[in-house]
Amino acid sequence: MSLVKLKNSQLLKSLSNMNNKLIELACIIDDDDIYINLVKRVIETKKLCENLITFKNGKQSIDYFEALLQNLDNNKIPDIIFIDLNMPVMDGWEFIEQFTKIKNRFNKLITLYIVSSSINPVDIDRAKSLNSVKDYLVKPIVINELENIFNVNESV
Amino acid sequence: MVQIKMPPKPIDNSIGYLELKNNNIYCSKVFLSDLGYSAKNKKISLEFFLSNLIHKDDSHQFRNNYFSFIKNNLDFRQSMLIESKGGKYKEFVCTTSHDNINFSNHRAKSKFLFFNKRKYKTNKKVKKNQFYYKETAEMTSTGSWYVDLIKRKSYWDQQTRRILEYPEDYIPSINKSVSYYPEEYFDLVKKLFLKCSIEGESFNSEIKMLTKNNREFWVKVKGKPVFNDKKKIIGVRGIFQDIDETKAKELSLQRTSNIIASQNKRLFNFAHIVSHNLRSHTSNLSLVVELINATESKEEKLELINTVEDIASSLNDTIEHLNEVVTIQTSTNKSISPIKFSESLKHVKISIGQIITKNRATINSDFSKIDTINYIPAYLESILLNLITNSIKYKHPERDPVIKIRSYVENSKTVLEITDNGVGIDLEKFGGKLFGMYKTFHYNKDAVGIGLFITKNQIEALNGEINVFSEVEKFTTFKITF
Repeated sequence: MSLVKLKNSQLLKSLSNMNNKLIELACIIDDDDIYINLVKRVIETKKLCENLITFKNGKQSIDYFEALLQNLDNNKIPDIIFIDLNMPVMDGWEFIEQFTKIKNRFNKLITLYIVSSSINPVDIDRAKSLNSVKDYLVKPIVINELENIFNVNESV
Repeated sequence: MVQIKMPPKPIDNSIGYLELKNNNIYCSKVFLSDLGYSAKNKKISLEFFLSNLIHKDDSHQFRNNYFSFIKNNLDFRQSMLIESKGGKYKEFVCTTSHDNINFSNHRAKSKFLFFNKRKYKTNKKVKKNQFYYKETAEMTSTGSWYVDLIKRKSYWDQQTRRILEYPEDYIPSINKSVSYYPEEYFDLVKKLFLKCSIEGESFNSEIKMLTKNNREFWVKVKGKPVFNDKKKIIGVRGIFQDIDETKAKELSLQRTSNIIASQNKRLFNFAHIVSHNLRSHTSNLSLVVELINATESKEEKLELINTVEDIASSLNDTIEHLNEVVTIQTSTNKSISPIKFSESLKHVKISIGQIITKNRATINSDFSKIDTINYIPAYLESILLNLITNSIKYKHPERDPVIKIRSYVENSKTVLEITDNGVGIDLEKFGGKLFGMYKTFHYNKDAVGIGLFITKNQIEALNGEINVFSEVEKFTTFKITF
């Protein structure tokens, strides 16, 4: 896990006070370092949220969330999660299954997006059948798309 | 030794026989007069007997019996129709031995065939039915049988004897039934038969049987209960049909279909891997490009260009891995040659000697049951290398790795088994994905997730199979069936 204090976060905070409430914490679960770094850059450049937390696979992140349940700290609960499907140790599906069981105990709306390079219709249909998944995004993710997602969730 | 005294009977008068001597056949007087001929034409040729005297339905079988008797001394007993002078056929039973006579004194160089008239003549209607029955039985290779549960006796018709290669006068017995089936079918046959004779359930199954000459062949066996007036089961009646040829075709078709299915599966899997693994790199690339365009700062642009380098190198790795897989698929017709497990293992041990010593790993091998296999030597080494390094990589933190390798034969196939005392793997959770590409299941820095994938592909490309057994914290066994 790594928690990134994004650049210009002070500036972002002041901006967010003027507009709607800015998303405070986003979470990316993906085993591809390059992808994570790139998304981080997009978020920084476009000032999409304040903090970003990343995990290398489902197991690491579910451990984080379970630990969080013991000691609820609103600042550590992400507003939005982007999860990959193909990951070692615990894949995206298993994470979603386990996370769905505990997510109501966080007292916070956590939006879950699948971001995967799989274009397999089986995966897409399966994702759509899950209530806890807001949407299925196919990689490559486009900057505009990411902006829109953050904006929509912001205004909620 | 008891000397059996035989009353010296004048051979020529009492019985019909053929004396076979120096390629000639001599008829006895009785035999000739039985057929209505005068005693003059005593000497006949086999061809004449076969084409003019014996009924053509019986001549083929007689010919076979005759030659096995002459050449290999195989006794036989056959009933047949022989044409008499007036053109009428008479029924005879031909046997190679005669209980009441001993020729050993005066005609040692001759062989004899004895012809006895049948005591009870088959009536015409029965004969006609028998003809149809016989034709059907022969053309469909179907013999029938009956087991009398009251007398505890079993009966076969001639066709059953023929299919099972028993002589015409063979009497089957319930006690000998183990010799009619290969061992692996005992239980099934017993179950079917008991269910039929106790619960009255008919059966229809395909099994293997054993002929008298111990030849295994496929048989369709059907059976149904026979009831008495009081609706009690008193016997089981059924048929054996020789389906060896059809079954062989069916099995080979099944094999071909399995191979095609597994190849198709591998191709599909490969297409999926290609699309998935290449996509993750290309999508990163397109994101970088987009970011470069969106960034104003020159410095950041340069930084992003560095990322392109990272993407290129990991794309390259993936392509190399995929290339390896393609090579496996295309090189299966490469030189398959006899190779020793021990030899192959020696090479592997040398090439990873450092890893073995560093991890204090012990490798025990036992190839005493079977040491040589026809395989692509490079694959065998690669399989051993992958599985051994895997065992070392996932060794238990509290003990030194001990790897046991042994080979044996199972169901006439060579099996190689590699067992370690490592951390094991939760098969319930990961079993399905264990051999997938880029699947790793442990918190291990060196885990790439390519070794087992390649290993499985190599084995399957040569129509083998790999299975895994494991218990977490205890052991992992990989079993390769070549």
